[in-house]
Amino acid sequence: MLARRTLGRIASQPQVLGAAPSQARNMATLREIELRLKSVRNIEKITKSMKMIASTKLAKAQRAMQAGKEYGLANAELFKHASPEETGKRKLFIVVSSDKGLCGGIHSSVSKATRREFAEKGKVEEDSPIMVIGDKSKAQLSRALPKNIVMSFNQIGRDIPTFADAAGVADLILTSDVKYDSIAIVYNKFVSAISYEPAIIEVEPEKLLKEAPGFRAYEMEDDVTRDLSEFTLANAIYAALVEAHACEQSARRNAMDNASKNASDMINRLTMQYNRGRQAAITNELVDIITGASAL
Amino acid sequence: MSSATWRNVFTYNKYTQIAARALRASLKEEERVAAEKRGVTILRYQRWENGHGGPMTYLYPPEDAAPKKPAV
Repeated sequence: MLARRTLGRIASQPQVLGAAPSQARNMATLREIELRLKSVRNIEKITKSMKMIASTKLAKAQRAMQAGKEYGLANAELFKHASPEETGKRKLFIVVSSDKGLCGGIHSSVSKATRREFAEKGKVEEDSPIMVIGDKSKAQLSRALPKNIVMSFNQIGRDIPTFADAAGVADLILTSDVKYDSIAIVYNKFVSAISYEPAIIEVEPEKLLKEAPGFRAYEMEDDVTRDLSEFTLANAIYAALVEAHACEQSARRNAMDNASKNASDMINRLTMQYNRGRQAAITNELVDIITGASAL
Repeated sequence: MSSATWRNVFTYNKYTQIAARALRASLKEEERVAAEKRGVTILRYQRWENGHGGPMTYLYPPEDAAPKKPAV
């Protein structure tokens, strides 16, 4: 019994090479646990502050989304009355996401939705063009469907998207010589402050609009029809941009919230472990001292 | 004005952006500052060929006085 204890005391000195005695391991890991505790505490501070920032941005983004949705509704009204009989297979996909990460599954949800559209046999043409807004989705789609990407945009979504952004994107689409039968905008729809889902807005270009049966009732000149088709594209893009921005802020807030919760759980667990280790070390030292004292 | 020739040069969206810029510049100081924020865009785009992206270009290049944006 004495031998075992003294063996333990010798082992607690860390200079033993090659051996990995349990006492020494406990003493060494106590420092490790302390370091881990410090770094997890820092991480918790960072994620908490990111969550605060995202919550304030979310409030502002939601207000802008309510205002921006009105543009999208005006579009929907027009297309309801002048819906086309049959749309061609060559769709231009505009994928809306953003440049920044740490926002949960926002980017992968739109990328997956786009890939699902392509995966369904016969629904869209194989080499339908794709235009990506946002670097994160661009990276994902350039691995999945690289041949289809024709243009990509970034620097949108840093702040609330403006109509100038949407008009710029629409103009670049219209002036590029990309051929398509209709346009589909893939974005994240804001369901609630804690959930979103990918959705698609269909926009008809000028040709399809003119051929639609209900459109003749509007009695518009050709020039004005062209203006209208250009403007509806910018409208739809704007509505998608603001809604996607609001989804991104809510997803970031939820992700940072979960991260903070996990971090605080880890802190509790590590603190327990640290205290237990500390008390075990103290107990061992006391035992040594008492043994030593009783041996004299 | 029977026929407007601007349609040969640019799209309707560009037309509205120009008109909006003129309107914003004509507002009173306080409202103008608030409205200018709504017209800001720092959009960049790149064309892709066959799975490879071309160079990134600014849609509206910022003036040299502004701080440079990092290259992507």
